[in-house]
Amino acid sequence: MKTRLPDHGPVEAPRFWRTLEERVETPEARQAAHDEFLPGAVPAYDDVHGLPPQSGVSRRDFLGLVSAAAALAATVGCDRKGQGTVVPYTKRPVEVTPGVANYYASAFQEGRRVYPVLVKTREGRPIHLTGNDEHPGVRGKTSPRAMADVLRLYDPDRLRAPKAEGRTLGWTEAEARLHGALQAAKAAGKPVLLLSGAVVSPTRKALLADLKAALPTLEHLAYEPAAGDAAEEAARASYGQSVAIQPRLAKAKVILSLGADFLNGEDPETLAAWGAQRRLKSAKEPINRLWVLEGPLTLTGTNADHRYPVAPSRLAALAFTLARELAAKGLPLPAGANLSALPGGAPADVPTQAWASLVKDLQHAGRNAVVLCGAQMPAAAHQAAHLLNAMLGSEAVALSPAEPLATTRDLEAAVQGMAAGRYAAAIFWDVNPAFTYARAAAWKEAVAKVPLRTWIGLMEDETAAQCQLVLPENHWLESWGDYATPGATVLQQPTVGTLYDTRQGEDVLLGLLKALGSAPAADYHTYLRARWEKAVLQGGTFEQALHDGLVKVEAKTAALAFRGASVASAERAAKGAEGFELVLFPGFAPHDGRHANNSWLQETPDPISKMTWDNPVAVSVQDAQALGIQEGDFVTLTLEGTTLRLPAVIQPGQAKGVLALALGYGRTTGGVAKGVGANAYPLLGLDPATANVRPGARLAKAGGRKELSRTQSHHRMEGRDIVRSLTMDEFLHHPQGHHHQPELVTLYEEQKFPDHKWGMVIDLAACVGCSACVVACQSENNVPVVGPEQVAKGREMHWIRIDRYYEGELENPKVVHQPMLCQHCDSAPCENVCPVNATNHSPDGLNQMAYNRCVGTRYCANNCPYKVRRFNFLEYTAYKTEPETLAYNPEVTVRPRGVMEKCSFCVQRINDVKIRAKGEGRSILDGEVTTACMAGCPSDAIVFGDLKDPKSRIAQLVTATRAYKVLEEVGAKPAITYLADLKNPVEGGHHAN
Amino acid sequence: MRTDASVHAVPIPEGLLEPALTVGKVTPGSLDDQVLAFPETKPPKQWYLALAVTLTALGIGLACIGYTFTTGIGAWGNSSPVFWAFDIINFVFWVGIGHAGTLISAILFLFRKRWRNAIARFAEAMTIFAVMCAVIFPLIHVGRPWLAYWLFPYPNERALWTNFRSPLLWDVFAVNTYFSVSLMFWYLGLIPDIASMRDRTTSKLRKTIYTVLALGWRGAASHWQHYEKAYLLLAGLATGLVLSVHSVVSFDFATSVVPGWHMTIFPPYFVAGAIFAGFSMVVIVLVVVRETMQLKNLITMRHLDVMNKVILAMSCIMGYSYMMEGFTAWYSMNEYLHHGFMNIITGTYGWAGWITISCNIFIPQLLWFKKCRSSYFWMILVAIGVTIGMWFERFVIIVISLHQDYLPSAWRIYKPTMVDFGILLGTFGLFFTLVLIFARVLPVIATTEVKAILPDAQPSHGGSHE
Repeated sequence: MKTRLPDHGPVEAPRFWRTLEERVETPEARQAAHDEFLPGAVPAYDDVHGLPPQSGVSRRDFLGLVSAAAALAATVGCDRKGQGTVVPYTKRPVEVTPGVANYYASAFQEGRRVYPVLVKTREGRPIHLTGNDEHPGVRGKTSPRAMADVLRLYDPDRLRAPKAEGRTLGWTEAEARLHGALQAAKAAGKPVLLLSGAVVSPTRKALLADLKAALPTLEHLAYEPAAGDAAEEAARASYGQSVAIQPRLAKAKVILSLGADFLNGEDPETLAAWGAQRRLKSAKEPINRLWVLEGPLTLTGTNADHRYPVAPSRLAALAFTLARELAAKGLPLPAGANLSALPGGAPADVPTQAWASLVKDLQHAGRNAVVLCGAQMPAAAHQAAHLLNAMLGSEAVALSPAEPLATTRDLEAAVQGMAAGRYAAAIFWDVNPAFTYARAAAWKEAVAKVPLRTWIGLMEDETAAQCQLVLPENHWLESWGDYATPGATVLQQPTVGTLYDTRQGEDVLLGLLKALGSAPAADYHTYLRARWEKAVLQGGTFEQALHDGLVKVEAKTAALAFRGASVASAERAAKGAEGFELVLFPGFAPHDGRHANNSWLQETPDPISKMTWDNPVAVSVQDAQALGIQEGDFVTLTLEGTTLRLPAVIQPGQAKGVLALALGYGRTTGGVAKGVGANAYPLLGLDPATANVRPGARLAKAGGRKELSRTQSHHRMEGRDIVRSLTMDEFLHHPQGHHHQPELVTLYEEQKFPDHKWGMVIDLAACVGCSACVVACQSENNVPVVGPEQVAKGREMHWIRIDRYYEGELENPKVVHQPMLCQHCDSAPCENVCPVNATNHSPDGLNQMAYNRCVGTRYCANNCPYKVRRFNFLEYTAYKTEPETLAYNPEVTVRPRGVMEKCSFCVQRINDVKIRAKGEGRSILDGEVTTACMAGCPSDAIVFGDLKDPKSRIAQLVTATRAYKVLEEVGAKPAITYLADLKNPVEGGHHAN
Repeated sequence: MRTDASVHAVPIPEGLLEPALTVGKVTPGSLDDQVLAFPETKPPKQWYLALAVTLTALGIGLACIGYTFTTGIGAWGNSSPVFWAFDIINFVFWVGIGHAGTLISAILFLFRKRWRNAIARFAEAMTIFAVMCAVIFPLIHVGRPWLAYWLFPYPNERALWTNFRSPLLWDVFAVNTYFSVSLMFWYLGLIPDIASMRDRTTSKLRKTIYTVLALGWRGAASHWQHYEKAYLLLAGLATGLVLSVHSVVSFDFATSVVPGWHMTIFPPYFVAGAIFAGFSMVVIVLVVVRETMQLKNLITMRHLDVMNKVILAMSCIMGYSYMMEGFTAWYSMNEYLHHGFMNIITGTYGWAGWITISCNIFIPQLLWFKKCRSSYFWMILVAIGVTIGMWFERFVIIVISLHQDYLPSAWRIYKPTMVDFGILLGTFGLFFTLVLIFARVLPVIATTEVKAILPDAQPSHGGSHE
């Protein structure tokens, strides 16, 4: 960390002098006096004596700078170039031991989903997130976006003080303005619009109720553009209310997905259950079977045992046909359900035999079968899924009442209200409708008619630009909060003081309450604590809740009655119009757009297309062929008068006639987000039932081609034995996945491992390819972000990547995922070619990199058969300044230009545990060392451990029948063992279940 | 072909007589006047023009290197998995060019191939210049060039030592040894000529410089005795180096695990390729030199004919090597090797593979015809073809092998940048700048050696004894 002290000004005529030369001020003497001490070391005593400052630095400034330097110096450890000053704390803050991490439980919300997390802080800075292992659902796991959100805390684009009409002002002034307007609105009885994200927090809900009581004209809408209007619409139809759907895969033997991407990394609980089901504990206990009917290829589709490409508009018809056939086989239809009027017909999309197997599978599994529908799929498909689950009596899905979300219809009403001048004021809190609302122009026009528009948020966005009053909000890591989750009420606590002059949104509302004459609490912390003590703690202490991050509660099983009669309304399926069917889904990286400024996420490859930094439109293989589209070709996508020019990717496995495009790109604000991809929100439909599935899209070649920022450009395995995949049948009856290469001779002395031999096992049957490990590693190991141009050149820096291969027919390929990272080979080809010994083997089996010694010949990378070494082709880190640098893990060196780097097996974590164990005079326990990827893996596909410990979990796993090593024939003796992927298709009518 | 007239009573048949190595009347005096006086003359306009062109190229190269230093290797097209590209292609290319000089001056000297005397000096100079061009690349291609000296095993307070298992380290030694021995060899040969020039020149400056460079050479018999011994010894040393340097360079590839690199055929194949490329470059330069410097009487068509025969022979060895690569790929049943070989002939870079094969194997077959060996047009065509072909051969070996190795997920197409081309251009600029300067300031022909092969120089030479 570079901390520059001000340059010294000219030396004033000295009052005190040591030599005559100094007194008469010869240039030499002046220089000598100046040079005597290094810059910054000149004693700043003058202000004490009331003398003019000699150095230009006052004592106070000096001390201030020194303490700042100390804090900042600790943030980056050692910078090769900069020299900072490190001094210990004179007064050590409680709980902070320099060099020792502190962990705090907190929680992150994204849409309706809540991620209870454990926040690792160093010297008061949150630097790394994992799931909270106390939580009964997530059990220590979280999502890639949740992990990456720590970077947003340090986003330089964060708003640092309130603004009004572009002018920075104090909170008092800003609040006065807001309060005045709302008091007037209250007096006049004019409605006030409050648009916020989903309300999952009971305390926030209480606060909103208090606000509503104090301001009866308040109209609150909870708006989540990525939640899927159709799901909301269908829930209201099927159950008469909003419903939160949580799959319980532990109980599922057969899963049918109707375009549901429940394995996409968003839902750690589901992934954990999936992993546990697919890991195959014993051959006797069969794994589950996943059937997928979907239009675009999703991560879930790639993990299916049977997958059939089906246009989303056809899903409802297929599902109702299924219901009819199941009913014919004797499954009870819910009361009032009349299927005869519904669309149906023969399932032309699925081969007859497979269809029969599916029906049989569902029927046999009964309560242990579940039908899941993708949030973006048409409402009719959701209704069909609800019906099927009701018929099956599925125990593998938990439905719970939820706070309603505003659909496009509600938004449209609000827009009309604004346009009509109904509202006296509007508050936009953590929402960005100016970007996410389909009719942006109408929105802009309408919103301008609201007299006072207030925006509360983290980073100025498109909506902030339309508001007069712009209030900076705390990051969630600086805020209090709580969430109701199944099994626990989760507490969110600040893990760092506010970095800027910001407040959390709830505090702004509390201030408002006070101004409106009701004062429930001085601040939200007090408000929350009071509520918790009253309603949540139930005898426990708040401190304990803070420690655990939650209070466990009995999972409520609210009986939600399926309204059989509602199926009649399900005919509003998208009509098959001319042209393509466009599916709009939240982007993997930006989600609904809120994460678009997060460079970690932008550079994390989409798990399917391996695209970074862009949202090309995905075209099916057949359509691309028909239109003569090549990968990267610019195309124009036209729908109801809206035209987008964007590059195309050809997506194997995507249903013919279907286009897929990610939302959340094309932001116009934000240093990272601006100009990345194209904004697809204008293509969203206004009918909530089919908002995300739009028929009638047209596609044409636009001329020109874009160099795609893709991390993988070859998608076939070329018949090589890289990812082994077995069907259950093959595995049980012909387990041939176990041919070992004869040991190759080596000229060099065998490596010896006296104490430990670290190794890893990756279970490809459990790995779904969600890329959580990639983000976890990026956060842990200070992996630099290189940007789209560099990614297009193949210079991305990820230490772990997920290789994704397509096999078989392009129209519906088999897809496999394989996490690939440094294999820490015992006979590493990289080690003997390094001329300066910068990469070598540790006595505990690590292939280590000495960055300081690396000259950068890149020979090691050439000679790495796995191509997991990453070279700093350019200076990827020096441009970073505070506050970005605060996100660095101080335990990991930041690598300069010209240096090779790669996975270290999180050596800093190993050493941390080693030191701790040594201090406690014991040996390292199995499972005590976790790499970031292992800790981040929601499906527990990665196991790290000591191969020398015969009782360790990993030592058992490496002897499994499915165990193999990638490229064993090269003779590098990798320390990573893969367990072959398992698929559980129906084998010639034989059911494993 | 030394024969003793006293043994052979009968005259040697005409056909067995070695033809004269010079054309027309060449006497030691005329030779000195022709060669040693040349640096005293004023360079023609064309020389300045040529120098301007080469200096421009050099300038562009230096600018590109400067840009690379300030930006990083990212200024080039190198990426993952093609971590080496133009940098190492150019390095191997230039080291290869250098080989002809040493072969001509050392190996042919030991084999008493007297025709090499007239061209050895120039070829040897080209070796030095080519190696200078080559060593630029290992220095600039590392990520942190300011630390490149770490590749030398020097004692240091951090007790860090180099890795002697790394072929790159072997390279450091091989190329350094090669350069220093070549330089000594070349300089040693220059001493008598420099002394002559010292004695001939009237310019005070030149006299001073030549005096220093001549190291006090007076032409005494003892000087000649020492000189001949030293020359023979260095020739012996350099001979080993001709074979070792490119073998070691090939170890960079052969000892790796990259399919397409990991082959036992590489050392001889690289040496043959180097001689091939080097001879072609010598032919190109010699034709220009002999025409522009009026040296037709000393560098004769016979020289070129012999050189072309060597090129043809090397081309055949290259053809055999290429076929062996294909055979190995097929016979080993190694899918990676097989894929790599198929990439050369059918892959994305198949065009580069076919340029290599055409330029190195097909086109040089023209040299079977005497007409082509004695025609400037055809021999230059072949020589330029071989130069291009050999550059592409290294492209094929390095880029094609790297861009698709083991894991298809990591495969990627390589595209060079303008900086890559700029640096390549810059090395050509450097090479020809040095050639141009050399041609003006030092004797391009070793007069002392040529004097030894003048028709009158050998009293025992058949028929010429008068």
